[in-house]
Amino acid sequence: MAFSIVVKLSLLSLLIAFPFVTNSYSAYQLGLYLLYGIVGQGIALCWGKGGFLPLGQALFFGIGAYISGLMLQNDVGWGLVIVTLSLAIVIPFLLAGVVGVLVFNRQIGSGPYFSLITLALALVGFQLANSQVWLTGGFNGLTGINGLPNIDSFGSLYFVIVGALVLTTIILSKIMGSPFGLLLEAVRENEERLQFLGNNTSWIKAAAFAISGGIAGLAGAFFAPHQGIVTPQVLGFILSAELVIWTAVGGRFGLLGPVIGAVLIGFLASGLRDAFVYWEVIVAFVFILVVLRLPGGIGAIGVHLSRKIGLNFHSYDEISERSRPVPEVDKIITRELKFEEVTITRGSVVILDKLSFKIEGLGIQCLIGPNGAGKTSALNALTGKLEVDSGEISWCGRSLNNVRPFQTLSLGIGRKFQVPSIFPNLTIRQNIDLSLWVNRLKRNQLLSMVPYTWKSDLLEKLEEVFPFISDKSLIAGSLSVGERQMLDFTMTVLSEPSLVLLDEPCAGLSKAETETMIKAIADLSKSSKSMFIIVEHDMQVVELLSDNVLVMHQGKLIAQGSLAEIRSNKDVQRVYAGGTK
Amino acid sequence: MEAFATFLLNFVYVSAILALVALGLAMVFGLLGVMNMAHGEFVMLGAYSAYVVQTAQISFFWAIPLAIFVSAILGFLIEWSVIRHLYNRAFDTLLATWGLAILIRKGVEVVFTRDYKSVNQVVPGTVELFGVNYPAYRLILISIIICIFVVLLLWYQRSKVGLRVRAMVQNPGLAAAIGIDIAILSRVTFVIGVSTAGLAGALLAPLVRVEPYIGLDYLLSSFFILVVGGLGSIEGLLIGSTIIGGTDAVISTIFDKTAGYMSVLIISILFLWLRPDGIFYRR
Repeated sequence: MAFSIVVKLSLLSLLIAFPFVTNSYSAYQLGLYLLYGIVGQGIALCWGKGGFLPLGQALFFGIGAYISGLMLQNDVGWGLVIVTLSLAIVIPFLLAGVVGVLVFNRQIGSGPYFSLITLALALVGFQLANSQVWLTGGFNGLTGINGLPNIDSFGSLYFVIVGALVLTTIILSKIMGSPFGLLLEAVRENEERLQFLGNNTSWIKAAAFAISGGIAGLAGAFFAPHQGIVTPQVLGFILSAELVIWTAVGGRFGLLGPVIGAVLIGFLASGLRDAFVYWEVIVAFVFILVVLRLPGGIGAIGVHLSRKIGLNFHSYDEISERSRPVPEVDKIITRELKFEEVTITRGSVVILDKLSFKIEGLGIQCLIGPNGAGKTSALNALTGKLEVDSGEISWCGRSLNNVRPFQTLSLGIGRKFQVPSIFPNLTIRQNIDLSLWVNRLKRNQLLSMVPYTWKSDLLEKLEEVFPFISDKSLIAGSLSVGERQMLDFTMTVLSEPSLVLLDEPCAGLSKAETETMIKAIADLSKSSKSMFIIVEHDMQVVELLSDNVLVMHQGKLIAQGSLAEIRSNKDVQRVYAGGTK
Repeated sequence: MEAFATFLLNFVYVSAILALVALGLAMVFGLLGVMNMAHGEFVMLGAYSAYVVQTAQISFFWAIPLAIFVSAILGFLIEWSVIRHLYNRAFDTLLATWGLAILIRKGVEVVFTRDYKSVNQVVPGTVELFGVNYPAYRLILISIIICIFVVLLLWYQRSKVGLRVRAMVQNPGLAAAIGIDIAILSRVTFVIGVSTAGLAGALLAPLVRVEPYIGLDYLLSSFFILVVGGLGSIEGLLIGSTIIGGTDAVISTIFDKTAGYMSVLIISILFLWLRPDGIFYRR
């Protein structure tokens, strides 16, 4: 049994024993802090796992509180309470989901815009709650809220809250451990790479945000009967900021941290409020210290200490064996790539100048040309990273002009960037898993553990060539540049794309590593049914690998043919040996 | 006609004040990428400087050097102790400065308590302009703000330091390679940025309530202005101030204060969502 489960179970027994060893008032207080902790768990999902910070989480908490408060102002039975609870979860869930989709679809990355939008939404919520007196009671709030039927708000409600906390902890740890959780972490690590593994990352982030909204709504739904009053402060900016602080101090990378943070600061505040009026100063100091020196908060200290005494908090021996063959991916029969008069200009710079060529069939196409010829730009245009101004790019008869990066994978196009692009804080094994799931992981498997057990013949072959990739627990960021290139290459080809784009796969490799890489590419092109396009400067690599060579210069194609033909081409000689520049 | 002239003057006045308040944040966020959540607290400190000067019964004009001095010293300490470790980590600057904002608020609360203070009007009376009697202090403020902006703009575009700052913003690595001390320059920019916030607070003190929690309002309106106007240019800052100030003034007049504030919020959200370009124009 994992050590973290032992910790969780002992904490649970402490929580259950708490009202009996202390008094009912302390338990009542603890109930409130646990509710805040539940909201913090949702923040941890978005911020700790997904890397984007929701700054207005009190909005969803407050909506849940108002929904349940409005309902519980009447005498209702358990049937209606269940309906209310569901609404208090579903409405914030949907609201967060819609906001997430709208915002993330327009913006890649985890910049501060999303955070500021959520903050502004919380401010809007606060204003609405204050001004819509008919619904919310305005500034004075909703009062006269009854407890849940047959549940004493100052007694047994505490155990209901503990139950809710157990539920959210189980659900969220299930989510974090699932393929969805790994995808979310991959968003944090390297969103662009994840898109080039065929994932619509905006949906992943929006889903996580929706879950955090639903969980905040659930906590809010218990807040109303717990406090008996709901005022606009519950969805305001101050509570939103405090929730983030508690989560950060407690630890945003796990599920226990946020709860510990909310409970510790809560009791610290209530204990010091009378004795030392400026207790917030202490919290602020601790918070600044956490931001500066301890991004993992108290939770990170806990994990560190448990390692020190020899207990492994996250045990790697639970990693599943690869036992089931991966599902087959659909293969495209004809392989034909066409550029027709493709022009791209940015400002006064002409990047691609009526670039036209057609390549088809299997084999390795090498794309060469001096620096600035537009080789990488051509690949960018082909994979939706660079918008085409005029002309047409088509792959197997389908236009690629308006394609988005994540869609290229489902068309059978896989791409490796020049600078090795991996998920540095994930293990090699996790990097490999993410690439095995490309085009294979179905929506209904997002929460299933089965995809972790997938094995593939290609992977086994690659493990023979690059033995280091079979390591289970090594963090990918600790690999050398050469090994990263090999891992990135492995990840690109594991989805078995019909068109493999490799941008300088041998850049930064030693002589021995280059030989290994060349052999891997050559073997793969023989055994797979794929077309390869390799951008390369190293003529030795071109000589060993190319079946056909394309030469670009100043955004145009100047020659195409076998290496011998290219060598005797006057235009190519002029470009490489001086003449026109 | 008179009503229109009054409205126009109010509009210029509100926009000018907003621009002055947002100026410091524009420098710190726009040039250094630091999301300074303690920005409003510097405005608050400036306002308290005016209160201190009044309590000491010396001329109000001493409030200006005092506010700049207090903000500069505190800004220097904050940059040295916290901010300089966090450049290029926008999220972390946001969080750490939020903690700092709490510290400053509580510090002021310890010294001055939470009670509202009021700073007396130093230039009472009105001046006739375009056929309306307009408060003299407001007109003085508008002129001072115009002067501040002209001086800053000239300094930024003409001086060697301004040139170095622009070089640093565009390409910090290259700027460092040609011998510009980025660490010092960032610190100077930060200190000047928060000092203008302190100055704004001192100038506004006679017109607003003074208490430890006023900072949040100034922070939020400054953020809205930057969001709408975009970062990186004085023009953007002025346009943002006019749009935010204008919307607030017009909608508030037609409906009520809440509607005005709500429309500002909604405009900001729309800009953040649809037109965020420029706002994170960053090194």
